[in-house]
Amino acid sequence: MALLESTPGAERDRRSGTGGTALAISVDRRLRLFNRCCVGVLLAFALLWLVPLAWALDTSLKPNAETTDPTWLIENPTLLSYRTVLAQSDILNWYLSSFVTSALAALGTVLTASMAAYALSRLRFRYRRVVFWLVLCGLMIPNQVLIVPQFRELGSVHLLNTWWAVFLPQVPTAIAVFIFKQFFDGIPRDLDEAARMDGAGFFRTYRQVVMPLSRPAVSAVAIFSFVWSWNNLLWPLLAVTDPELMTIPVGLATIQGTYGIRYADTMASAILGALPLVLVFLLFQRRIVEGIAGTGLKG
Amino acid sequence: MATTISAPDQIRTEPGSPPSGGADHRTRQGRPALLFLAPFLALYLLFIVGPALYGLVMSFFHTSLVRPGLGEFAGLDNYAEALGSSDFWWALWHTVWFTILTTPPLVVLALVFALLAERVRRGRWFFRLAYFLPYVLPSAVVALIWQWIYTPELGLLSRTVDAFGATAPNWLGDPNWAMVSLAITTVWWTLGFNFVLYLAGLQDVPRDLYEASAIDGAGPWQQIRRITLPLLARTTTLVVVLQVIASLKVFDQMYIMTSGGPNFSTRSALQYVFDVGFTDYRTGYAAAASTLFFLLVLAVSAVWLVMTRRQESEV
Amino acid sequence: MHGPPPAPRPPGPALSRRGVLLGALAGAGAATLTGCATPVGAGLLKTEAAPGAVEYWNLFGGGDGVRMQQIQDGFRRANPGTPLKAITLAWGDPYYTKLSLATVGEEPPDVAVSHLTRMKTLVDAGLLQELRPEDLARHGMAPDNFNQRAWQAGLVDGRAYAIPLDTHPFVLFYNTDVCQQAGLLDSDGQLKPITGEAAFADALARAKQVTGQYGATHGINADPASPWRLFQTFYSQLEGEILADNGTRIVLDDAKATRVLDYLRALTVEQRLMPSAADYQGAIAMFAAGQAGFHLNGEWEISTFQTAGMSFGMTLLPNIFGGPHAVQADSHTLVLPARPDLDQARLDRSLHFVRSVLDQSLTWAEGGHVPTWLPFAESDAYRRLSPQSSYAAAADTAVYDPPGWYSGSGSNFENVIGSAVGAVEGGQLTAQAAIAQIRSQLSALARTPSPV
Repeated sequence: MALLESTPGAERDRRSGTGGTALAISVDRRLRLFNRCCVGVLLAFALLWLVPLAWALDTSLKPNAETTDPTWLIENPTLLSYRTVLAQSDILNWYLSSFVTSALAALGTVLTASMAAYALSRLRFRYRRVVFWLVLCGLMIPNQVLIVPQFRELGSVHLLNTWWAVFLPQVPTAIAVFIFKQFFDGIPRDLDEAARMDGAGFFRTYRQVVMPLSRPAVSAVAIFSFVWSWNNLLWPLLAVTDPELMTIPVGLATIQGTYGIRYADTMASAILGALPLVLVFLLFQRRIVEGIAGTGLKG
Repeated sequence: MATTISAPDQIRTEPGSPPSGGADHRTRQGRPALLFLAPFLALYLLFIVGPALYGLVMSFFHTSLVRPGLGEFAGLDNYAEALGSSDFWWALWHTVWFTILTTPPLVVLALVFALLAERVRRGRWFFRLAYFLPYVLPSAVVALIWQWIYTPELGLLSRTVDAFGATAPNWLGDPNWAMVSLAITTVWWTLGFNFVLYLAGLQDVPRDLYEASAIDGAGPWQQIRRITLPLLARTTTLVVVLQVIASLKVFDQMYIMTSGGPNFSTRSALQYVFDVGFTDYRTGYAAAASTLFFLLVLAVSAVWLVMTRRQESEV
Repeated sequence: MHGPPPAPRPPGPALSRRGVLLGALAGAGAATLTGCATPVGAGLLKTEAAPGAVEYWNLFGGGDGVRMQQIQDGFRRANPGTPLKAITLAWGDPYYTKLSLATVGEEPPDVAVSHLTRMKTLVDAGLLQELRPEDLARHGMAPDNFNQRAWQAGLVDGRAYAIPLDTHPFVLFYNTDVCQQAGLLDSDGQLKPITGEAAFADALARAKQVTGQYGATHGINADPASPWRLFQTFYSQLEGEILADNGTRIVLDDAKATRVLDYLRALTVEQRLMPSAADYQGAIAMFAAGQAGFHLNGEWEISTFQTAGMSFGMTLLPNIFGGPHAVQADSHTLVLPARPDLDQARLDRSLHFVRSVLDQSLTWAEGGHVPTWLPFAESDAYRRLSPQSSYAAAADTAVYDPPGWYSGSGSNFENVIGSAVGAVEGGQLTAQAAIAQIRSQLSALARTPSPV
């Protein structure tokens, strides 16, 4: 609702009628003009921001041969490139791999991180500070420097070339623990104290009191670990060699498609690769933004 | 929406009093705490801490990718080689240069757009869509689209610039332009995240402050300068630090769009690690290079900690 | 003192709060899931796709990719009992990285393509299976069935690890319409021989007059390989060497390298006969669109131009510098990555597939490559193949990358030199600066003890 709310200050000012003087009205008019300029600038940039995607879509709808003479006009619109990509690549399998690994990564992250955060937020134990700092250190390690040891590790247990290898290393996410901890810290302790009085154990308190109140944090962590996992390139690139098990980014980056001058095919595969998350985003736009707004991510 | 905002707000308005706990309290909660922590810590030790330590150990050995075990003990040879290698320093500089190119626009533009969007009454969803949409695209998709846009002579950008009568630079092919081109792509790709962070931060600015200043006759510009920006300081610190760290970790764009070229002008630190570790099989040396790189990220993160600590004590 | 009940793994209700998002995603995914039971099994349970299958990796894009698919289909038709799983990965370092990683991770393909120049490093790293003469003989592949230059080049300490499939030289494509108008063709419609620096520049200039844009194109941006191939061709014509003693010593001849680089700079930056800025795809597209009369590339792009429906010819890259007629080349070979579970049956399946590829050399040669399998290379079928057989001599003028752990097609070595050469052609570096850069970067590699 806050998002739909109007101009800060001015609108409220007018409605409440605090300044019913000529001065207030002129300020009001100036403001409206200013706001209109804002909209103009913002609109111009927003359209600019959409150009690359529009251009990709535009190219993908042309026959390959007509792409070397670039104009926005599509003389002979065709879905041929899409058909080529769908028929000749494993893109449907890549969708599946991306979906399964990202969903498992998101699920794993939400579960493990929220439980760990609950312990850090609510329970007193001897090495609390140590654990906290250990997790904090994890925030700073670039995942990319871990790939060689991770590769050796998963190779030694023969999990390479499986979805386990893709999503398991993505489950422990230090930042998710912090998001949850910060969120839990903000939930009044009286609530879970009350539940505890009623005889609920820590686990029931976590499940039935704390988690239901943390919906924004849950959806933020779930959505972002899903998106990050979906878009992760380097690790799945190394972990999976079977093209049927590749994720979308890996497939697009490593598997070669058709030949010749194929800008339309390439753009069609880019559009197809982008499609699922774009749909997710369109469906859950408000939730995603709320997710960022409603968690510790805002600092 | 109401619950969304209210819960974290409690952090400030009602800091939970630390539960009293003596020694016996601790032991009683030790077991459940362990159970709650176990799944996360197990995976965390297995996939983050363990590999990090293993990597550190490898950096002191001539470990080869294709040979089992650690290989010959190298002492500090790997570190000495990295520090003495101009390629390594160039890669670090490229990473820093990329960070310098991307951070200011990603922070400033995101802030400006968020401030503008705050004043929009209708269709705010459209702006969120336009700016945030690229962020959900996989790097591979972004790379494919922008490689096409940057294609010399045929691509959209080259043709647009040519249409204005100027000569389009060779976006990805000219060592002087390649990093700038990657930076443009990155700004387009990731701006939405910072934009949304700022939108969220703006919602926390109390409305009555605006009302009060409007009564005092403050114009929008003065409101922004005197109220909004100071209150966004925390958000800005967060955005800047997350951005700097993300930019330092850049890999995907280079890997797919330029492979570190042309003439190695876009080889980032991580691309360097990847090249020596996986292409040259020199895992031990790559581990040393990544450790040195990690120290750089650590230094930046430390600055953040110090800054947030100071801000918190100021508030 | 009793603790609270131990926490089991959280059951359903906690999950349901992820609510709409996961629910909808699951719904969307469910449809796909039911349709693809096999990948799910492979992804989570690691079920072997099909026992008795041959898994084969290659790095062929472009026209090569299409030909290789035809060859694979040929194998499938002839061997319905042996499922073939063929995987095409992006060319160059990423391919070798992935091949090495898969082999180290004990999940290698049964058969893989490797460049001859990369194969030795793989052997040194212990990643390839030795091919014993008796095993090869069982499948009718005796050493004297192969072009000896390629076969000998592929031996390591006298042992065979790779079956050479072809020799693939850097060649000169020409647009016959443009060259006709420029008066560069003879009465048979073939390109008149070009020899020497001035003659080549002149031919490009005349082609440029016809096209109004450029004389020739080749990939420069984000494509160190093409500049490297061009440089290596010309530099070898001056009898220049770059590495010695297995890559531990650099013997780059500054005078010769300068001469080549100055010439390339003249063609691009100074006379604008070739674009200083074109990526691999763009260079092809410009030639196909008639914006240039010549195109410098590997012969494998033949299919691209055939598909584009243009009239073109191909010939050996001219001898510019008057030394021995050298052209840069490499060979594709088929190798068997080392695997712990190799048994006789698997080995025979793999070798049977290798033999089947060799038997389809015609298909492969149609894609431009010079065959090394003598039963075909010496046949009339090959001689009749035009324009492919017009540069068959390239097999004997081939110059391979010098040996060294960091050398070979798509390697660091090629990147170092190709990047510097590309920067000269792009006008960003002088010849002198480029040579200094090459020398310094190669020295670092030469000093490094081989990691394999």
